[in-house]
Amino acid sequence: MRPDDAKRVCECEYLGVPLDGLKAGVHPNVVGIGVGHKVARGRATDDLALRFYVRQKMHALLVPPAQRIPDEVEGIRTDIVQSGEFSIWRPIPPIYQRKVRPAMGGLSIGHYSVTAGTLGCVVSDRGDRLILSNNHVLANENRGAEGDPILQPGRFDGGKPEKDTLARLETYVALDPEEANLVDCALARPYDPADVTEDVLGIGRLRGSREPELDERVRKSGRTTRLTGGTVVDAGATLRVGYATGTYLFRDQMIVVGERGAFSAGGDSGSAIVGADGKAVGLLFAGSPFFTVANKFVHVEKAFGVRVA
Amino acid sequence: MARRRTRRGFIAKDRHGRPMVSAKDIKDRHEARLMKTPGVVGVGIGRKDGKECIRVYVENGSPKVLSALPRSLEDVPVEVVVSGSFRAR
Repeated sequence: MRPDDAKRVCECEYLGVPLDGLKAGVHPNVVGIGVGHKVARGRATDDLALRFYVRQKMHALLVPPAQRIPDEVEGIRTDIVQSGEFSIWRPIPPIYQRKVRPAMGGLSIGHYSVTAGTLGCVVSDRGDRLILSNNHVLANENRGAEGDPILQPGRFDGGKPEKDTLARLETYVALDPEEANLVDCALARPYDPADVTEDVLGIGRLRGSREPELDERVRKSGRTTRLTGGTVVDAGATLRVGYATGTYLFRDQMIVVGERGAFSAGGDSGSAIVGADGKAVGLLFAGSPFFTVANKFVHVEKAFGVRVA
Repeated sequence: MARRRTRRGFIAKDRHGRPMVSAKDIKDRHEARLMKTPGVVGVGIGRKDGKECIRVYVENGSPKVLSALPRSLEDVPVEVVVSGSFRAR
């Protein structure tokens, strides 16, 4: 009998492909059947064999006799190959860009009309747990109104207002086009406090906050570049930053240079910058091709009268 | 306390020879003028060779911008850093 005929018989018996005169059956472990060279002692031989692709290859003693795949079918040898389940290749987005409950620092978040930014961390306002990120992430550069839905993941990552709304906009520090700004930050109140946790993805719980120091090593967890490390190269910068609505002047900011490649990219706005001791030192909000700019975390806490939770 | 004469006047130094006026004070004094220089996008404080310095961030390293910036301000070295322009992320 030729291998193709034996294969057709097996397809009927193990995968349920109809064939005249045979009872179709489905084997729980077989996901595919093919024809290839028989493998003996780890090497392919000249003989053809039936290849049974299985979810998991098991020891002969563990297989119930009724499910055993014979060594030979109609005179053709068989090979058992562990392939796992087959699926179409669809890219799975990293966890940073997916819906996660309870939500935590480092994940994609955004106002319903903003593309996406990063959830910085959970802060405590006299016992209430609030979500901290940038004004231009949660309040759409002063254009958001109190109570606007905040999506996790953000709109760019597929977040929909009807099913991914995590919180509502609570308050923000307005960006001032005339005077020098100190912070770009906003707070959102989760509809269900159990939907958020104090953890930051890949970093863990924050242990308070402090001023950044020159030359210190810092880390951040963000939607786009995920977990990265860098060095503080400037601890008191005044600079002009371009926004969609215009250019704003900022004073007393910190500047970070990445260790391996860029420390941040578009979409990382709102990430908390954390020192080696686990204390928050900055709130990432802007950058140039070579640098990342962040508000000092102590200014952010003072602006709202909140503490790292 | 040791004192050293400079072109712009006296700067008090502590016994390790470090200036008593912090780089931040000097930066604050010159910040407004530096920020008005075309091509300058930021002014900050960093460290170079273990000493505090004033960092001036410029959009690009064109000779016109570089020649308009001082090498040092009141004895604090100035480091010119080509950063490109800053954008909200």
